[in-house]
Amino acid sequence: MAESSTLSLESAAPPPVLPRRRELLFGTAFATAGVVMAMATLIGVYISTRDANGAAWLSVNTIPLTQPNMQLLTIGMSAVTMQWAVWSINRDDRYHTYLALGVTLLLGAAFVNQTTFLYNQAGIVMIQAEGPLFYAVTAGHLAMVAAGMIFMALMGLRTLGGQFSSRQPDGIGAAAIFWHAAVALYAVIWFAVYVQK
Amino acid sequence: MALTETRPSTDDDAVADGPTTAPSPIEELVGSGDHLTIGRLFIGFSLVFLALASLGLLLGGIDGLSEDGLIGLVDSLWNSALAAMVMMGALPLLLGIAIYIVPLQVGSPAIAFPRAAALSLWGWVISAGIFAVGVALDGGVSGNDLDGARLSNVALGAMMVSLSLGAVCVATTVLSHRPLGMGLSKVPFFSWSMLVAAPVWILTFGSTVAHVFVGQISQADAPALAAGYAAGISWFLRVPAVFMLAIPVLGIAADVVAKNVGRRVAPHGVVQALIGAYAVLSFGAWTQTPRALQTFVWVIWVLLAAVPVVALLGALADCLRHGRPTASAALVGSVLAFLHILGAVLAGALQGLDTSGSGSLFGFDTAALEWSQGFFLMGAAVVGGLAGLAHWSRRLVAAPAPEAQAKGAITAVLAGSGLLASAYLVEGLAGANDQSLTAEVLAALVAVGAVLMLLGALGGLGMVLSAARSGAEHPDPDDDGGLTLEWAPAGGPVAGVAQDLAYVNSPYPLLDLRGDEEERS
Repeated sequence: MAESSTLSLESAAPPPVLPRRRELLFGTAFATAGVVMAMATLIGVYISTRDANGAAWLSVNTIPLTQPNMQLLTIGMSAVTMQWAVWSINRDDRYHTYLALGVTLLLGAAFVNQTTFLYNQAGIVMIQAEGPLFYAVTAGHLAMVAAGMIFMALMGLRTLGGQFSSRQPDGIGAAAIFWHAAVALYAVIWFAVYVQK
Repeated sequence: MALTETRPSTDDDAVADGPTTAPSPIEELVGSGDHLTIGRLFIGFSLVFLALASLGLLLGGIDGLSEDGLIGLVDSLWNSALAAMVMMGALPLLLGIAIYIVPLQVGSPAIAFPRAAALSLWGWVISAGIFAVGVALDGGVSGNDLDGARLSNVALGAMMVSLSLGAVCVATTVLSHRPLGMGLSKVPFFSWSMLVAAPVWILTFGSTVAHVFVGQISQADAPALAAGYAAGISWFLRVPAVFMLAIPVLGIAADVVAKNVGRRVAPHGVVQALIGAYAVLSFGAWTQTPRALQTFVWVIWVLLAAVPVVALLGALADCLRHGRPTASAALVGSVLAFLHILGAVLAGALQGLDTSGSGSLFGFDTAALEWSQGFFLMGAAVVGGLAGLAHWSRRLVAAPAPEAQAKGAITAVLAGSGLLASAYLVEGLAGANDQSLTAEVLAALVAVGAVLMLLGALGGLGMVLSAARSGAEHPDPDDDGGLTLEWAPAGGPVAGVAQDLAYVNSPYPLLDLRGDEEERS
């Protein structure tokens, strides 16, 4: 009796169609790999060209290390807050998810502001030999950070609309993949471009 | 009272909304996110652009027949032709087949990120058109016109980004759209080959796009852009990076052989590992600098690529030996494409031997050897693509491809790309003792090879159009001999073929359904 009722229930109710899990994560991971490869190549070309130019490289410009250090600290903290958002959405803690995304966006905005301040301090212009490569690397990364912020804001809005939760946290996770890649790349740029000069 | 249900529509609402118009066919085509439409458009445009690139090479060859040049665009046409054949023909052809077939093969009703797939298509079509205009303006990858060169530089980068985006969609489909039970170890070979090809394409183009960006941001003049292409971008057309063009061909060949003889290509995991190993060995971003070519690692890396190719050929031969193969265009083409891959390995090995150590050991013309590698692999990719079109024709256009046309197109491309690659191989070897072919002889060989490529591209287009016309008049999409999910009958080549297949525990579910008796026979 019980068996027949179970069977009739199964036939009457088709299984619900769940959203594809991890689709956004995989897609973002592939796209991030391409962006990281592009940035890694730019950094490689920068180092190679700098080596070829020897002591003349950036000899007329002054890049204080304090500013890049602060930028590293800022964007490093944002990696922690981004992971806080991932942790929160996985536990359906929506309040902390919004808070963590907001703080990460704030730190990202601070990083953008710090970068533009550094540009003014360094005074590197496009017509000097170092200009195109310096801005290709640093502004390319700045664009990546800006893209990460837009991605994060969109995922935040979708979370606000109820699309992400512990059952489907992919959007926040995908934004985190891209953001962590941006943070890791800045650590490389910090060392290769600013520390080594 | 709170309204908790959808308000019923009334005639007044319909009047207030005004008349609605159905989208025109062009609007439907451009706005489509259907992977079947996007795949077909990719295939059609790629064959047209391949014909255009072959025509450009033909004009370059004719121009080179006279010392002064007949039309004065020899450098631009000649040097841009290989890049155009790869970026506008070979790669998009394979990507188009993948966008169409892979979702069906893994039982998905749609491709992952359909709008991104559409963006990939139209971004590539527009940028390919701009690249062609740039070449016509004496730009291209080594032209003299500044505007043309900059236009071509941007277009080349845009094509790379667009194709990478398409690869992201295909690979994500394989990873996240599989039915329950179909682990990655049970993914059919073509889908598997696209899964391993996509990261290699994405990483390679990520690296080349950086050089495009540097060329653009530095506001380089035409000679500087040409030098930037030679130093920073052209490496993707030499081994090992150029091996990446043929990764999907290995998957196509394995699927074609299995269906041709109605048997599994076994062991499945080993074949997957061989395709994966070939993909790993086709990663060549680390060989960008000339110094990397003078290392022992590079020589071993290039030679190792032959191992999975030969091993896979052995596995396919073993499968054919146990069945009763028919010499279809798809089978012959996909297997003969292996010869081109091995030809590229040979050209790469010769270059490796020559440049190993601290300089040129035999004095070969390494630039010519690199052209040879590029033409070999471009030919392998196009031949594999045409074999794939012939193989999946019933699914693509609801009718089998005309065998004679398919064989003709495949033969023309095999001969054309083989002639082009062999001419440069001979030129590379002859360079050892300053016995290079005369410019006129090389130009004549290039012109003949380009004519054959042109005929092959047009023949492939004709084959698809002919089958499509036949399919429109008498649809015949089902094939009883299919083994993998894309052949699941559902009354037509629609994406919903596999929607009822909730659990699939085999790469060959249709063969399993028919039982082992058929396989044994």
